[in-house]
Amino acid sequence: MATGGTRGTRLLGGRIPYIDGPLKVTGQAEYTDDIRRPGMLVGRLLRSPWAHARILSVDTSAARALPGVAAVLTGEKYPTPFGVLPITHDETAIAIGKTRYVGDIVAAVAAVDERTAERALELIRVDVEPLPEYTDPRMGVEKVAEPIHARGLLGTNIQKEVVQHFGDVDAAFAQATHRVRVHGRFAGVTHAFTEPLVTIAEATADGRLTVYSATQVPHYLHRALSEVLGIPMHRIRVIKPEVGGGFGGKSDPLPHEIVCAALSIETGRPVKMLLDREDVFYTNHGRHPTDNEVRIATDAEGRILAYDIDALIDGGAWSSFGTVTTYYNGILAMGPYRIPNFRYHGRRVYTNKPPSGAMRAHGGTNLRYSIEVGLDEIAEATKLDPFDLRTRNALPPNSTTINDFRITSTSFLKCLAAARERSGWDSKFRKLPYGRGVGLGCGFYISGSNSPIHFKPVMPQSTVHLKVDMDGGIAVHSMQADIGQGSNTLLAAIVAEVLGVDLERVRVPRVDSDVSPIDIGSYSSRVTFMMGNAARRAAEDLRAQLLRAASHRTGHPVEQLEVAYERIQVRHRPDVGVTFMEALHAAMERAGALTATGAYSSPPMGGSFKGARAGTAPAYSFGAYVAEVAVDPETGLYRAEKMWAAFDCGRPLNRLAVEGQVEGSIHMALGQVMGESMNYRGARLLNPSLLEYKIPAPAQMPEIEVLLVGDDDPEGPFGAKEAGEGPLIAALPAMGNAIYDAVGVRCYELPITPDRIVRGIEDRRKEGRAWKGA
Amino acid sequence: MHLDPFELSQPTTIEEAVRLRAEHVDGSDYLAGGTDLLPNYKMHLNVRPRLIALGNVAGLDGISLDRIGAMARLADLERDRAFASSYPGIGEAIREIATPLVRASGTVGGNLLLETRCFFFNQSEFWRASLGYCLKADGDRCHVVPQKEKCYATFSGDLAPTLEVLDAEVEIAGADGRRRVPLERLYDAQGDGIHRHHMAPGELLVAVYLPKDARERVATYLKLRVRPSFDFPELGVAAAGRFDGDRVLGLRLGLGGVETRPRRFDELTDPVVGSRLSDERIRAIAEGVVRQSRPVHNTFLAPEYRKRMVGVFVRRALTKVRDSARVA
Amino acid sequence: MPSRAKGAAANGAEATSSSSLKITVNGLPIDRPCPPERILLDLLREDLDLTGTKRGCDLGTCGCCTVLVDGRPTLSCLTLARLVDRRSITTIEGVTPVHGLSTLQRAFVEHGATQCGFCTPGFLVTATALLEERPHPTRSEIIDAISGNLCRCTGYTKIIEAIEAAAREGR
Repeated sequence: MATGGTRGTRLLGGRIPYIDGPLKVTGQAEYTDDIRRPGMLVGRLLRSPWAHARILSVDTSAARALPGVAAVLTGEKYPTPFGVLPITHDETAIAIGKTRYVGDIVAAVAAVDERTAERALELIRVDVEPLPEYTDPRMGVEKVAEPIHARGLLGTNIQKEVVQHFGDVDAAFAQATHRVRVHGRFAGVTHAFTEPLVTIAEATADGRLTVYSATQVPHYLHRALSEVLGIPMHRIRVIKPEVGGGFGGKSDPLPHEIVCAALSIETGRPVKMLLDREDVFYTNHGRHPTDNEVRIATDAEGRILAYDIDALIDGGAWSSFGTVTTYYNGILAMGPYRIPNFRYHGRRVYTNKPPSGAMRAHGGTNLRYSIEVGLDEIAEATKLDPFDLRTRNALPPNSTTINDFRITSTSFLKCLAAARERSGWDSKFRKLPYGRGVGLGCGFYISGSNSPIHFKPVMPQSTVHLKVDMDGGIAVHSMQADIGQGSNTLLAAIVAEVLGVDLERVRVPRVDSDVSPIDIGSYSSRVTFMMGNAARRAAEDLRAQLLRAASHRTGHPVEQLEVAYERIQVRHRPDVGVTFMEALHAAMERAGALTATGAYSSPPMGGSFKGARAGTAPAYSFGAYVAEVAVDPETGLYRAEKMWAAFDCGRPLNRLAVEGQVEGSIHMALGQVMGESMNYRGARLLNPSLLEYKIPAPAQMPEIEVLLVGDDDPEGPFGAKEAGEGPLIAALPAMGNAIYDAVGVRCYELPITPDRIVRGIEDRRKEGRAWKGA
Repeated sequence: MHLDPFELSQPTTIEEAVRLRAEHVDGSDYLAGGTDLLPNYKMHLNVRPRLIALGNVAGLDGISLDRIGAMARLADLERDRAFASSYPGIGEAIREIATPLVRASGTVGGNLLLETRCFFFNQSEFWRASLGYCLKADGDRCHVVPQKEKCYATFSGDLAPTLEVLDAEVEIAGADGRRRVPLERLYDAQGDGIHRHHMAPGELLVAVYLPKDARERVATYLKLRVRPSFDFPELGVAAAGRFDGDRVLGLRLGLGGVETRPRRFDELTDPVVGSRLSDERIRAIAEGVVRQSRPVHNTFLAPEYRKRMVGVFVRRALTKVRDSARVA
Repeated sequence: MPSRAKGAAANGAEATSSSSLKITVNGLPIDRPCPPERILLDLLREDLDLTGTKRGCDLGTCGCCTVLVDGRPTLSCLTLARLVDRRSITTIEGVTPVHGLSTLQRAFVEHGATQCGFCTPGFLVTATALLEERPHPTRSEIIDAISGNLCRCTGYTKIIEAIEAAAREGR
């Protein structure tokens, strides 16, 4: 049962169990791989074993001749490039002309079964001429012999370069009392969702194409399918069954989805393309391997005067969200502190490796890690407590950053206060025995990108349709994608809240582009804010219809009526009124089944300089985390003992879900800190498996105290802001700074493997710099 | 991921199993719990056309204080109260193996004869093809230490070091009958990641025997890994000792997860017998082991670090054994 | 088929490629031909349409495919179907009561232990077996028991809470 709303609401603000919970705990929830269509074929991909090679020929004749093979596809058939950002379409469904990484798709097969399909792949002969391999972004910043893409900047492999300067950074540094420079190095990490990538496509005789896919952005997939396959969008139907986790990794339209659809068109039969776990690692689109340099200048009192940031970002083979990534790795430095002078130089460089893309807290983690470690160093240099330093610099509510971010609500100071008090910081910081430590990390993140990626035609970012018929069940249609974060539950709860009905009346059918109105999907932490507002408006529209009908029935004007549980009644006279069903049926007498629409468009914001829209959002989340760690100084092994996570998501609408997001974010953050990394030898990924790619085990999780201290946001639905991505960010630097407090070793590189700690302790000892007496 | 078709034999006696294996000496594998073999088969690693499943073979099961059947499930050994209370050191090692789900199917014999592991071996057909394969499967050179003679794949069983320091013996059945050898001598000191033990093709591990005095030894197993579950060892150190007050009556030390075989260091521990196991002696043994151990870069953590940790783990294991003997 | 194999079969060790498989799945007897290479996970999902059991990594790491074999949690992706002949298999569908939810399932729902839900069947099967064996496990016993199941969404926190709550409530 859902429990206890807050601040005048019945449901929202309480703990609302996920409405799809019963289906998920029984195995009845239907994921893409659980779907079977009549006569379905198996699709398989031939992947390139070469990192960079010119394709001279692909001979598919033997494969085609194999009994049981229905189609073999190579790149030329569908040459239209695609990509998630309209300005960087650099992928084709299947490689044309050359292969760009080990794992690139060279050909595809549809056959009657898995074994036949794999046998067919073995029969395809590919002739190539090897090309120089660029496995490190540093190799591609100058003119190269063979650019990975023709669209690279001036013959280099640079995909995107961003230069920004606000204020006067050099002057600020010249007058600063304290300066630090952090050189952060970050291995690539990947989403490692448990459900592998999978798509089913079914081309039918009516000229239509139906695609079921494990995607978090059905709309972008819809567009890409239309563009590449040359089929108008209205003849394509995209269905999103349950999705087993996304974290950003299912937000790009992915080549296997398009190939699957193409194979179905070729064969006239349904085709399922289920990727092996190894293939999921090659598809990647995970967090970019990054080298950054963050310079911070402060005055004697620790007030930040300037940031000077440089980032070199390893993009892998495609652009993906890379242009956004390149901006984010700089401009997401603009909170949660006031930054009067700011300079950023960022470059994202193509390499012959699996493509990097958007991963939970996209662009926000690696930069933030370096900044927060740098601030810890400043605090030490200025002899300020890390909390005091941050309090002093906090960005005030209703302010504008130097790059024109509009900051409305922020409860960052409350986050700091809560984390400090609950963690017992003042009795622990630099006071725990050697080997134990606490660390503070802070963060902030966008609550929905103000810029929809596809803005042509101009339309709202979210639309919600409601439909109620005589049965009294309310269907909520939307193209937001529940990928486990609980957005269906939130959508239903908002509608139930506004209409006063039992949550059980509200159904959220799966996303189906034939019936779901446009929403640009689940990324950039936008769903609660944007879809939530759209849902609220749709429900208010429906409520108005019901109120009018109730007014007719009761003879009381609408202004005197109020919504109560399953009822519409006269204010202060609860005995006079009609039930929800009576109101509904009354309304239906005139209109038939009721429908209502609500939409959300973010307000105009941002400056007018190049790239000004990047990072603008209708609201921002804030966080302050304290980690307590225990480090074994001799082995460098460590564990997170406890994490106090103070987070400002505005008003948490579903506490159960928000806690779940915070706890899950900490899991993912700890993974990046403690051992997740995509390890390469040259261009080859060494660990494309869940055994060797080390997402944290149950025993690695700390005790977590979630402190939700946000005040209502003025524009968020019922005061809410995002809680899906921001909660990850502060956890990383909190760990790094706690390790420093424990053993005096600064870790500038993630993951923090134990050997790095041992080396750091050794160096300290050699230099005769004792720490906490050890 | 599917398996390519194979023939499946399900013999019911040891003799029948051995005979079947001998008949298909190059074309078959024994299948015990499957948790090691089947992932390798799914990745097309050294796949044979016939599997001889051992699940129905009489005489391979059973757990008692002096004998563990090779087909005893790791989880059953973990749960056997009499066994667990008599051999807490073995219990420590078992709980460090993989995951509870792997232990539910995985067997004692399977863990002792675990296939050696390497970043360049435990990969899919596609992956290995992209690098031209390796010595251990389908190829002719090693990518860890580039040469053509020797395979450096690591022995990653957690149980072997512990059973070695308890002087366990193993019973092996072959075409010519049964033999018993000390476990420590099962593994080939002159071998490599491919030729790693002295079992003739077709021989079958039947059981592990523990000597009478094994219960009197204080034993421990310490494992280094990134995650406290799932992961194979980056190194594993087992130690066992018998003491009379402070005096050492017997001491054994075993190391796994670092080289192509689990090995013991009797030449370093034997000299301590009869005297006190002081911190200095422990340190000297640890240094000796570090000097002899040569991790290579084919696991997750850096070899220099693992080498250094060998010393730390040896010292801790010996100290733990000594100190818990004192308390007991 | 090589003649040696036939000889072996004649001597008692089955070595044919399409023997029949007799198992009980969720209480129902199944009797069907099954080639040796058929993996239990594939049998359940593809042949028997029991899609509640999930394929996460297919290599025995993630635990999404966990089912009970004679009450014991087992990685179905690493189990040959033929080797569970005459055994009783219980999948997530079999753990579910005919009406409503089990105590454990209800606890998972109420405590928000599901997010994407893909790992959930595996966790539930594992936890069901745990509570069968130890009705009142300690927190650390719970953590040990689920240490072969990976979850990427929840950080395990609410899964552990749900199992604790179900144990408190009793079954």
